[in-house]
Amino acid sequence: MSQHSEPLLGVARVTRRNPAPTVLAAIVTAVALWGLIPLFVGRGVIDLLVFAGIYTIAGLGVTFLLGQCGIVSLAQSAFYGIGAYSAAYCTTQLGWPAPAGLSIGIALSAALACAVGWPILRLSGYFLALATLALAIIAHVLFVEWDWLTGGTLGIGGIPPLEPFGLRIDTPTRFYYLVWPLALLLLFLHANLLRSRMGFAMRALRDAPNAAAVVGIDVHMLKVKVFILSAVLGSLAGTLFAHYVSFVSVDAFGIDRAIAFLLIAVLGGARTIAGPMLGALFVTIVPYALSSFGDIHAVLFAVALIVAVIFLPDGFGGRLSRLLRRRGA
Amino acid sequence: MTLFLQSVFAGLTNGFVYALVGLGIAVVFRGTRIINAMQGEFALIGGLMAYLVIERLGLSLPVATVGGVFAGGLLGVLTELFLVRPTRRRGGTEESYLLLTLGIAFAISAGVLYLFGRDSRLVPGIGGEASALIFDAVIRTHAIWLMIIATTVMVLLWLFYHRTHIGLSMMAASIDEDGAATIGIDVARMRTLTFLLGGLVGGLAGVLLAPLTTVHYEMGLLLTLKGFAAAILGGLTNPFGAIVGGVTLGLLESIAVLTVSSGYKDVIAMAILILIMIVLPHGMLGRGSRRGG
Repeated sequence: MSQHSEPLLGVARVTRRNPAPTVLAAIVTAVALWGLIPLFVGRGVIDLLVFAGIYTIAGLGVTFLLGQCGIVSLAQSAFYGIGAYSAAYCTTQLGWPAPAGLSIGIALSAALACAVGWPILRLSGYFLALATLALAIIAHVLFVEWDWLTGGTLGIGGIPPLEPFGLRIDTPTRFYYLVWPLALLLLFLHANLLRSRMGFAMRALRDAPNAAAVVGIDVHMLKVKVFILSAVLGSLAGTLFAHYVSFVSVDAFGIDRAIAFLLIAVLGGARTIAGPMLGALFVTIVPYALSSFGDIHAVLFAVALIVAVIFLPDGFGGRLSRLLRRRGA
Repeated sequence: MTLFLQSVFAGLTNGFVYALVGLGIAVVFRGTRIINAMQGEFALIGGLMAYLVIERLGLSLPVATVGGVFAGGLLGVLTELFLVRPTRRRGGTEESYLLLTLGIAFAISAGVLYLFGRDSRLVPGIGGEASALIFDAVIRTHAIWLMIIATTVMVLLWLFYHRTHIGLSMMAASIDEDGAATIGIDVARMRTLTFLLGGLVGGLAGVLLAPLTTVHYEMGLLLTLKGFAAAILGGLTNPFGAIVGGVTLGLLESIAVLTVSSGYKDVIAMAILILIMIVLPHGMLGRGSRRGG
């Protein structure tokens, strides 16, 4: 049963070299190469890759919900915002250390996800997706209106860089070495979770909800748990973002960000392990490549979403792993 | 008292706008079982077209109205033919239709931003800036016309679905596809017509609301959500429901603005939407009407 289920970790990065037989070696090589990238590229590219790492984490939350529970969530920008503002407020206004901001953001997001998720996760399909969109709009308006907390449109500046074990993470390269191991670790944990009892329960819930209920899976409880997990990932990404750019304002937590996170999941392939990474790279690199054409990337994102829905139901990741499997066979 | 009445009028006017959008969502849902997340974009395109006809071509308001309504209809047909139909052929699920229509909505909104910029555009209303005075509270003549037209559209739609051959065929095609095909109904064409009708209603909503709230690239999404709230509040497939739901939402919103603060208007509307979906999924008038028919 587990044989056909999910494509392997990092499958997308090993396309050109040996596929199936030496997957493990290939993964090690790919990770090593990934670690060497900052030595060969400019600061601008590293900056992009850092964002890709942060978005991978936030996008993983959305991917998880979509791929395992079939829930379309547009609320990730809200949790991303909570994480960022918690970090900003705790470190600049209260003068607390960074871990405090991080934990408060995660605790708040988890609490909110639980409080809101409990009722709305009884909804399904369209209703649930539109409820999460409504939630994102509410959060965005509150981020603007509660300016005593968020600085409103002016934002909060001067957020200090992270200092784990006394090491100041104040350059893009250093942040790269912080965010990517974390992102890869989370992708790995995600892959592990899918192979666990909970992972099977989730897949059962997605593919045959009635049967899942019959065999005694508490469908609603499971959905709430996954929603909380997703929110925690969003909050974590938001906190990282705040410490990286040192300035947060409402523009970063609008509906367009929620769309970008959803696009990561849909485009990368909601059921592929490396999907969020591919999606995040697309979402960060494309606007940069098109920046000379003005705001055209927003149109392109939306078009990419449409094209992905019609032509790539499994996303980049799904397509790649299918190609690989065909060649390997 | 005047202030209260004033906000009741504002709520009523907004309510009929939401009702028109909700009516469009209900039309599309009836004919295809798709929740159309781009209904607000029909209004955006309709309003924008009306603006362009008046400002760029220098034509009159009636021509602009017709242009706006047809722009919405055309968008509906194109959407069905080139995007919804291919998705369906590949086995569209509820979530893929939702992602698709959301994607189209974002694309149109971003496209309007790219081509026309961030400006809000004002379209002249019926009767210009004229307004009526009722118990010291002001209401625009245009707003009164908007309510009359919205109600007329609703009645016409009811007649269309219950009294005309083509309306009944459209319902049959969505309720029982195979059965409808067996008795010679062209199901695919009925689905296209459904989107045409939804687009026309959406375009009309855009033309009518443009003089009141202006046309800008971001308006679609919130309109869709509020229209959706109106539609489910009234029961998705009951055409009279959309008006009841829209007016209820509009009034709640304006009372909230009066008692809390105008900045929280959308927060309150969205909270109401979430609440309705949880507490009243079948609407105030409905009885299992989510299933349609």
